[in-house]
Amino acid sequence: MSKLGFVVAAAALLTVWSTGAVAHHSAQQFDFSKTASMTGVVKRFQPINPHMRLVLSVTDAKGTREVSFEGHSTNNMYRAGYRDGMIKVGDKITVFVAPLRDGTEGGYVTAASTADGRRFGPQSRAEQEAEREKAEGRK
Amino acid sequence: MERWRNPAQYLGALGLVISVGFVPVSAQQPDFTGVWTNYVEPAQGRGAGAGGAATAGGGRGGGADLPMTAEGRQKVQAYQALIKGTGDTPGGFCLGTGMPGSMLGSGGYPMEIIQRANQITIVYEAHNEVRRVYLADRVVPEADRLPGRNGHSTGRWEGDTLVVETSNLVEQADQRYAHSDKAHIVERYRLTKGAKGERVLVAEMTMTDPVFYTQPVKAEKKWAEVPNGHLLPYECAEEAWNIHLEQLAEKARSKK
Repeated sequence: MSKLGFVVAAAALLTVWSTGAVAHHSAQQFDFSKTASMTGVVKRFQPINPHMRLVLSVTDAKGTREVSFEGHSTNNMYRAGYRDGMIKVGDKITVFVAPLRDGTEGGYVTAASTADGRRFGPQSRAEQEAEREKAEGRK
Repeated sequence: MERWRNPAQYLGALGLVISVGFVPVSAQQPDFTGVWTNYVEPAQGRGAGAGGAATAGGGRGGGADLPMTAEGRQKVQAYQALIKGTGDTPGGFCLGTGMPGSMLGSGGYPMEIIQRANQITIVYEAHNEVRRVYLADRVVPEADRLPGRNGHSTGRWEGDTLVVETSNLVEQADQRYAHSDKAHIVERYRLTKGAKGERVLVAEMTMTDPVFYTQPVKAEKKWAEVPNGHLLPYECAEEAWNIHLEQLAEKARSKK
């Protein structure tokens, strides 16, 4: 599936993966109209379905603390470029997330840049537009 | 029972089993075997629904646009009131979509079809949901069927179109096309070509349900073939199990 295709499919997938494995895994707490990013060192990573789980050790002006995330299903991420071994405990990575509505740190991981510079997850709006132009022969 | 002493008897019986169990697929009937994903019409463009029925699973109850009876509407509204503010859906509890949500998209994940002459098995990646469409001698007698979210499906060929009839369903107010246990669903599958010449599987669905609907409900779904595609594992309950183990470990630590 192309990256653009992934973006389209991801919207449809929301009904399945957004609701999680158990009752407390609803997607209601995330604001999917916004995107935030956070960089940290991987403390824990579970590439599972219906949501991958991630804990980062984040250090910035606020100090050092652990921040928990959940994210797309592993299957969903796989089709957007994720492969086994791309995220390991101890890696410094950046995640792109739909933030929590209540302002708590963390969020729903929709994409990530790995320690060696690779990226997986749907494209940014600019990337989507570039691919669309290419597909339509305008670029 | 008298034992068979002649090896030819064994070979004869084996031949019978092989001839019944491995009926070849007719050359006149298309082979749907393979992996299929949502087909997006080029005209739909970016952000369009996946394959024409992206909201089929939903999990939040029947749509307001459907011709529902008062009883059907009341049951859907009762369900929606129950889950209001929770974001809960069947999928949130690792439950498959059920028919007709499964055949209309299964949450956007791909599906795999394994076709034999007397059984067509459809595996939806999400929640490892499986449907078995029985044909000919594989059809289970009515008295021997158990109801379920995907019901019991029988198939037959009308030329190059596979017609699947599904009944023995349980009531499901929790999906886009909510229905009662009296629902009867007819699917018609045929192959066509997509904009790029790829194989596209068109599935037309008609659901009749005198309890929930005043008239038949129709929907269409298109699937594009993924050449040499693979489904991925989907163990939805793995996290719940991991959490349970962590809780047990925490209890054990606190006892020390």
